[in-house]
Amino acid sequence: MSALPEFVEETLPEKALIQLEGVTKTYDAGDIAVQALSGVDCAIDAGEFVAVVGPSGSGKSTLMHIIGCLDSPSSGKYWLDGQDVAELTARALARIRNQKIGFVFQTFNLLPRASILKNVELPLLYAGLARGERRERAMHALERVGLGNRAKNRPNELSGGQRQRVAIARALVNNPSLVLADEPTGNLDQKTGSEIIDIFEALAGEETIIIVTHDPVIASRTGRRIKIVDGRIVNGEAE
Amino acid sequence: MILLESIIDGIRDIKDHLGRTLLQLLGIILGAGSIVATFSLSVAGKAASMEYYRVSGGIQKIWIWDRPTGKVTLDAKALASKGLTYRDAVAIKRDAKEIDLVSPVSQESMTIRYREIQKPRDVMGVVPAYSPMNDVHAARGRFITDSDVQTAARVVVFGAERAAEFFSTDDPIGKTVTINGTGYQVVGVMEEKYFSFDHKRNVLRWMNRQVYIPLTTFFTRKGQTLETGKVSFMNARMIDIKNHEEAVDQIRKVLHRQHGVKDYEVLSRVANLKRNEQQNQMYDMTFMICGVISLIVGGIVVMNIQLASFNERVREVGTRKAVGASPAQIFGQFLSESILVSIFGGFLGIFVGKLFTDGIAALTRDPAVITPDTVIKALIFAAGTGLVFGMYPALRASRLSPIEALRTE
Repeated sequence: MSALPEFVEETLPEKALIQLEGVTKTYDAGDIAVQALSGVDCAIDAGEFVAVVGPSGSGKSTLMHIIGCLDSPSSGKYWLDGQDVAELTARALARIRNQKIGFVFQTFNLLPRASILKNVELPLLYAGLARGERRERAMHALERVGLGNRAKNRPNELSGGQRQRVAIARALVNNPSLVLADEPTGNLDQKTGSEIIDIFEALAGEETIIIVTHDPVIASRTGRRIKIVDGRIVNGEAE
Repeated sequence: MILLESIIDGIRDIKDHLGRTLLQLLGIILGAGSIVATFSLSVAGKAASMEYYRVSGGIQKIWIWDRPTGKVTLDAKALASKGLTYRDAVAIKRDAKEIDLVSPVSQESMTIRYREIQKPRDVMGVVPAYSPMNDVHAARGRFITDSDVQTAARVVVFGAERAAEFFSTDDPIGKTVTINGTGYQVVGVMEEKYFSFDHKRNVLRWMNRQVYIPLTTFFTRKGQTLETGKVSFMNARMIDIKNHEEAVDQIRKVLHRQHGVKDYEVLSRVANLKRNEQQNQMYDMTFMICGVISLIVGGIVVMNIQLASFNERVREVGTRKAVGASPAQIFGQFLSESILVSIFGGFLGIFVGKLFTDGIAALTRDPAVITPDTVIKALIFAAGTGLVFGMYPALRASRLSPIEALRTE
């Protein structure tokens, strides 16, 4: 990575938590190159509650992956917490995902054979924490989402809404700078989905939360909407 | 920490898919099994032969025969040779510096009678050196002494079984028996010798069936002297087994000087042992190769199953990566899993190896012992297989891109 000279740090006062400049992403899909993102500029501050909306295929998931350090931009710059992550090694990206980012997926992505507690402990395991501390912090995170009493269960013994709450607890357990949720209510009925958004709403302010969704009702409950069409942000203003 | 978690995961995996895991491990089980069997049989075989050598006079014992062994055409001079004599024994004792004990023996079937029991039995003419040479000692009374030999005394010592045969419950000491018509006084009964490879047959039983008289007496009764009497065979004992080739060589030189032709054979137990060892190594190698091939095949199966399970778990790998597992951590997790299942296979293999060993031991009546050393070797081989063949699947998992992994349904 190209280290930022010190004066640059100083001349960029209060850099946003997330700062993207001219980010593009091109995939090779066989013979044709698919342009998923074509020049995204965007800044999100710590503590914001943001919805990324747009039609399917617009590139919002790709944006999400880049923000989440699961993928890197083809060109352009991305600073997370003031750090340029564009050219980091796989190992360094893993560390950032572990320390700074919590993911919530549409399909929950819990490990089916591990207990709820073990699932929530997983990020702490890769962070190298001792067993006792892992347990304590995981229990605390489970209590935050109201599932302290299901720690010993396995994921298939829980309802969809409960599973997603476990996933949220897992996302929160490492005190990340950023929680990313990719269609978190996509596999849930309306009522349960609404309850999940209640949890995010309660967390808003304490945590920086970005939700990718195509549901306008959910989007309307966030503090700011970023609309993407054809790989470009068409409206990134807070209301 | 992560290692421990991976091990716990691995154990759960084995438990959840026991049938599949067993199939997966068949090759490793058989491989480890045949390694256990190889070492058990060969270690025990070696230990048993060493023990046999020890109880029958040690590996420093040398055999000297009065004719070359094997198919050799003897020339007229060799045929006319008088064979071994007492003088040869004296010369070896005097001139072969690596030899500290020489025991010439003359052997013939004679008629032994005690009261109404009369039977033809082998009788040995010996000198006192016979007893230390063969590590056989008088249990009651005494063995043949130097003074017996000097005076050609008419005394006899019985092996344990022969004593029982002729005297039954009588005390043999002091009794008189006739051998080929001449009266002899019984002065001693030897201890009972026992050694068995299979806990059934006593391979030292022949020692219990001996009847000993002084070598001089043996010759005198046949009208011969120490110079003319024929010695059937001799044993010699070397001082240091490190110089076994030199010891044999010295004896050969002395005999060649005495006889002028090669009408004798000198064999040392050390040389014999070495030859046996070479042969055993061949067997060991064959078994080992079978074991190693099984392990390789087992390793390939482990690799395939790991790859299959990896495909099943692509999403899981993606999730783990999303929450911050580094490539090295994923690599370690997959690798420790395949090592763990392989060690599990190795453990099962030890039991299979025990069955093999017991089976072979029962069939061939060879001794077999499973030593901790063998168990450790089998486990190391199994773990090594897991390590080598787990490498590729682990590498693939670690290199998987998290997005692709998460996209996989």
